Amino acid sequence: MFSPWISSLKLILIPLFWRGIYTKNPLLALNDPVTTVFRSAVLKGDNLVEKVEILKPINLELACTCDGNPNKLPNVTGFWRKDGIEIANSRLTVLLENEQYNLKKVFSIHGDSLGNYSCVFNGADKESKFDFYLTAPEMGNMKEKPIVAYVGDSVVMACKIKLPPKTWIWYKENGTEQELINSTTDPLRYKIFVDRNTTKLTVTNLTEVDSGVYICSAIYNIKTSVSHLEVRVISFMEPLKPFIAIVAEVIILVFLILLYERWGSQKSSSSPTGNMMHVDQMHKLTQDDNGIDESSTRKRKI
Amino acid sequence: MPPAVKANLGYTPPDGGWGWAVVFGAFISIGFSYAFPKSLTIYFKEIQKYFTVSYSEIAWVSSIMLAAMYAGGKLSSILVNRYGSRPVVIMGGLMVGVSMVAASFGTTIMHLYLLVGVIGGFGLSFNLQPSLTIIGKYFQVKRPMANGLAMAGSPVFLFTLAPLNQFLFDNFGWRGAFMILGAIVMNCCVAGALMRPVKMKTVQKDPDAATNGTTTEKAGATEGIANLEAGGLLSDTEPKQKKGGCADKCLDLSLFKHRGFIIYLIGNVVMFFGFFAPVVFLAPYAKGIGIDNYQAAFLLSIFALVDMFARPGTGLIANTKWIRPRIQYFFSISVAYNGVCHLLCPFLAVHLGYAGLVIYAVFFGLAFGMVCALLFEVLMDLVGAERFSSAVGLVTIIECGPVLLGPPVAGFLVDVFDDYKYMYWACGIMMLSPGIFLFIMNYFNYKRLDQEERQRQSGTTGLGSVTRSIMEERGAGEERTISKDLEMFDEEGQ
Repeated sequence: MFSPWISSLKLILIPLFWRGIYTKNPLLALNDPVTTVFRSAVLKGDNLVEKVEILKPINLELACTCDGNPNKLPNVTGFWRKDGIEIANSRLTVLLENEQYNLKKVFSIHGDSLGNYSCVFNGADKESKFDFYLTAPEMGNMKEKPIVAYVGDSVVMACKIKLPPKTWIWYKENGTEQELINSTTDPLRYKIFVDRNTTKLTVTNLTEVDSGVYICSAIYNIKTSVSHLEVRVISFMEPLKPFIAIVAEVIILVFLILLYERWGSQKSSSSPTGNMMHVDQMHKLTQDDNGIDESSTRKRKI
Repeated sequence: MPPAVKANLGYTPPDGGWGWAVVFGAFISIGFSYAFPKSLTIYFKEIQKYFTVSYSEIAWVSSIMLAAMYAGGKLSSILVNRYGSRPVVIMGGLMVGVSMVAASFGTTIMHLYLLVGVIGGFGLSFNLQPSLTIIGKYFQVKRPMANGLAMAGSPVFLFTLAPLNQFLFDNFGWRGAFMILGAIVMNCCVAGALMRPVKMKTVQKDPDAATNGTTTEKAGATEGIANLEAGGLLSDTEPKQKKGGCADKCLDLSLFKHRGFIIYLIGNVVMFFGFFAPVVFLAPYAKGIGIDNYQAAFLLSIFALVDMFARPGTGLIANTKWIRPRIQYFFSISVAYNGVCHLLCPFLAVHLGYAGLVIYAVFFGLAFGMVCALLFEVLMDLVGAERFSSAVGLVTIIECGPVLLGPPVAGFLVDVFDDYKYMYWACGIMMLSPGIFLFIMNYFNYKRLDQEERQRQSGTTGLGSVTRSIMEERGAGEERTISKDLEMFDEEGQ
């Protein structure tokens, strides 16, 4: 599993490499409880960070490889830190092999020991470090904005995560407490739908009391991952107010425009008698036209 | 047939004055028609979750709305011929408004299909056609400028509706947002109120123009005469319409004998296959080559911004005395220019990355705006303001197919080849070939027209002969009565 690529280090290769190993992880983790999983990365130059998602308690080997500094010292000191604090008895002298310094350590990871692990190379008072963030799978950025729903209507909340957890549980936040949502005791109001790595909670017959924060939790062997969703229940009166305002504005504008037109035509009709000549001509015309059309109409009716 | 058509109107269009208020009304109507279906996509994700349907099922709402908007073209042009632009636009605005409000109470996805899709779509078509028609009635000299300004409504409204929809959704959810959108769309009724029937100096018995409910203007129309006119006209035109038989008047199939119209139709049908797909796939293409969401969305904003200014700009250029007589060439060049942009897009994207796509967005925005601004102007130029209403109805119904098929076929190309560049090349060819076709055919058309004009002017003299030749062009029997009236009036008027 320890891939031997060591040459040109591009950051983009790390997530690809990581993904390659990662897909095998769940199977191994599930089948064999005491597996030592290998995680490694190559350090070059600037500080780099890598995120590792862990599903269940495992023994994890973290390995760092550092390209030889320009100085090419024969040996440097390497040690490990957890959450910024040096781990006791982890200091080693690392020798230069094939233009590289290698540092490995196996850690026993369980729920409490998740955190930020760093391997540090210290030589000639220069420090290079590489961070591994060990966490349970986290849900992507959920909407920060509340979901708006209406009294008497229903609302659907969904949570999604990369890897399927053992189970999903929904809670409603009640002040400082979390109230379990049980769809079996209250099937008319709550419906929970679970499909491997997604879950949906449907709350029907909403009332104002249903407003608040809902928590979906993905239960893994190692830890529980939670995400918060806020629901705001409002009555139908709320959108009705801007609606009525805009409709009133439309009616007023239409009325004003038609009024202006009527006023404009009245002004032109009450203008001086110079127009009367035209009026007469029009009269004659309309009569003539009507005459022609009447005859043609008569023809058509036949 | 530009020269003959101008004489056909029988009145001089105002070319200004209240016309600019009408352009503003058309701006609003056209803006809603084009931007509304596209902007609704913001709600789709939430509605999809609410009704538990797949993305393609919810996307149908937008497709049905667009389809209804194009299919309703013929019905809307019949109504405009009969009642004039104003009542149709007001009714359209009410239809969309009421359907959106009703949809906000909907309980199944079917409700949305019917209310938002069908009724909403038809309502929007009742906004689009009359707006285009009435510009032709109010403008002749400055018509390209007016068209360009009115068509600019589409990008402006898209620009404003997108963040507005997001705001409404965040504050009121999709139901409340639909209700408020229904009210906002009713502003089309305000646009309709602005579309005052054009006041003509002459009395028209012509069913196409006259049924706009004309009133006599400087003749000093008293209430009595106006009523007589209105009453007389209504009773006149109905029998006239029925006389020709629905097939003839409703569909105006005589348009298919019109050389220019056929050229336009063929060119446009091919063009529309590749017209909208590049816009739809610009953001996904950008994301596909590794650009992040915000920058990809920014590309569309650049595109819309350039489009917004390109349309009135093109209208202005098309109005100049050098371009106006040969506006068909200008149109075919802009169609071909679109094709060239699409063909070059993959090269720009591959070699210049994001900067290349920005350059493409700018040039494409310009090209898209040019074509949109001229799209209906050249149709008006070909068939004249009289038959424009029927022509645009026919054109939109026939274009319905390519417009709706274009993006899915393009999407299919992308899936098959797993690369956007083939789709862009296909769209490029789809636009370059009609452009060249239109250019060549219009060259011949212009030559024939000049020939016919010379024949007409040398062979016959006098107004009567002009009327007779107009008659021949129209080719409909009842036109004889109209031309007789015209002749009579002209004699009396002089």
